[in-house]
Amino acid sequence: MVFVLLALSILIFYLTRGLLPPTTALAPYINPRLTDAGKLSIARAVGVATSTCPSFTDFASLQSGCVTPLWTQYFFWLKNVLVGNWGYTLLPGISGTESTWSVFFGRFPYTAELDIVAAVLTFLIGVPLGIVSATHNNKLPDHLSRIVSLGGYSIPQFWFGAMLLIVFVLYLRIGGLGLLPASGALGTTCALCFGNPGNITAYTGVPLLDALLSLNLPYFWDSVVAIILPALTLAITSLGLLTRIVRSNMMEVLRQDYITMARSKGLKERSIIYSHALRNAILPAITVAGLLVTYLIGGSVIVEIVFSWPGVGSAALVAADVLDINFLELFVLVAGVIIVVTNLVVDILYAVLDPRIRY
Amino acid sequence: MGQTEKNSVESRRRHSELRFALHLLRQNPIVMAGLVISVATVVLALLSNLLVNGASWHQQALTLRLCWNNPAFSWPVTNLFNCAGQVYPLGTDAYGRSLLQMIILAIPIDLQIALEVVASAVAIGVIFGSLAAYMGGLIDEIILRITDIFLAVPWILLAIVLIVVLGRSLTTLTLAVIITWWPWYVRLMRSQVIGEKEKLYVERLRMMGAGWPRILFRHVIPNSIYPILVQSTLDIGSVILTVSALTFIGLTPNPLLPELGNLSNQGIEYFFTAPWLIVFPGLTILIISLGFNLLGDGIRDIFDPRLRR
Repeated sequence: MVFVLLALSILIFYLTRGLLPPTTALAPYINPRLTDAGKLSIARAVGVATSTCPSFTDFASLQSGCVTPLWTQYFFWLKNVLVGNWGYTLLPGISGTESTWSVFFGRFPYTAELDIVAAVLTFLIGVPLGIVSATHNNKLPDHLSRIVSLGGYSIPQFWFGAMLLIVFVLYLRIGGLGLLPASGALGTTCALCFGNPGNITAYTGVPLLDALLSLNLPYFWDSVVAIILPALTLAITSLGLLTRIVRSNMMEVLRQDYITMARSKGLKERSIIYSHALRNAILPAITVAGLLVTYLIGGSVIVEIVFSWPGVGSAALVAADVLDINFLELFVLVAGVIIVVTNLVVDILYAVLDPRIRY
Repeated sequence: MGQTEKNSVESRRRHSELRFALHLLRQNPIVMAGLVISVATVVLALLSNLLVNGASWHQQALTLRLCWNNPAFSWPVTNLFNCAGQVYPLGTDAYGRSLLQMIILAIPIDLQIALEVVASAVAIGVIFGSLAAYMGGLIDEIILRITDIFLAVPWILLAIVLIVVLGRSLTTLTLAVIITWWPWYVRLMRSQVIGEKEKLYVERLRMMGAGWPRILFRHVIPNSIYPILVQSTLDIGSVILTVSALTFIGLTPNPLLPELGNLSNQGIEYFFTAPWLIVFPGLTILIISLGFNLLGDGIRDIFDPRLRR
């Protein structure tokens, strides 16, 4: 696990600092008004220029002996990163230059909120679809459920989001306003608030949770209304995986002897499916949780752009445009940690839930 | 004598299995729909340069001109430009080009990238996956750990970083998608070969003195490549989705390029003035990728004896 993360850090470090010119790393710190001596001392402080380098022009033209070897840079960077020093970012923060860490984690709760709500929706829609598909194999419900899951699997995320916007914002209008908000997480504007938005204390940074903790129901309602379309887009486009695995597991379980036994005892079909078969069919579905998390984090980049969601995904694109490598590195490694930890938790959970598996 | 007899029995058995599979294929309307869409897409891609002048897409007057003059349908938006007199069945894009023509030109571009990505990923996956499974031990461990690293990043993040670092062009776009795609094929091929290499015929070949490259490339790989080919059909649709998502968010080599994601990218800019800009390119992506997914899904069900009824 630690190995994967270390290797991932080497990979991303090589991509952003090994392949791009070393001056890219300086971008958040220098401005044209600085003298060359000032720029050089910054380059030394960031760890990309050697202490013997005579001038900044020599460094910028990559004179030999001026740029620190890549592996030295890597260990310098790793030492800083491990104590939480991710440098500064080019992205606009609240006030001027801000640390990458604070800009990232100021936006991260929004992405986390979106992904978690989408994950819950995925399970709520995907599992029943898979069950129906398996119990009515090759009949109409099976075909319908396969169309939904395969359709979700084949639909471009940005397009599905845009179609929802067209329907709910352009067509379904009440009093000149769209039925659902087209963009944003309603963090500050509170466009649909009943009267006064009231006080909000940022306990967690997640709008839904903050509103509940501050006992502010209008704000909570606003956050719910704002998250419906983006979360639905993410969920519908991610549930194919889950539906498919629930369907094939369910079909296999329903063919087992103990199900035949239950049927011959005269149990009701409903109780056979929901209390005998489902438990065994749904267990292997937990293993796709890691994959689902990868899917959701990746998908939230697209969905956040379509819905102007103020999370890290939409910021990543801006960071890519301005070559903000500190932000991209932090995002990739945070995503890596989340995915690796999820996979570990899934493995442990699987062993706990299934007594046949012991490591 | 005995050998040829055995071969003919074997080929007859395979033949009848194939006929049964084709019978199931014909019985399933969903798979047939997928087959029709996929074939139509490929035919349209091959004919696109005959239908539309392929060199015309960058020789247009680059002024903002959003027209919709198809009388069959009207949008709930105010049309900013008066474009009477000209016929644009699907309206024009933001550069005043016929959107229908641009979509027809875009299909071969997307399909070509998808085929390149899938072919490269299959090639890498087959070679490294079978080596990992057949050699085992240290080689297996190294290859598996490398795939672990790539699977621990959401594909779109890795692709964004790669395209930004390598520069924006069709080649780097293809390369970025290949780099995010190959680990799946390595995993799939490895799991196939692990089952295959324990079979008795492999042992017999080894006792007959065949070297490992011969056993692996002449016998084990041809016998275990089948699920990989099915997966690759299924993946053509997904790769088109991936590529168009990347160009949609702006990682495009040329803003004028007729590519389905790139055409949709203009659409999000003029969303409330010209909704057709995003509706039709996206719909094309959906139809193409649904076609390949239906086909692949059906083929997988038909050839998976556990799911066959």
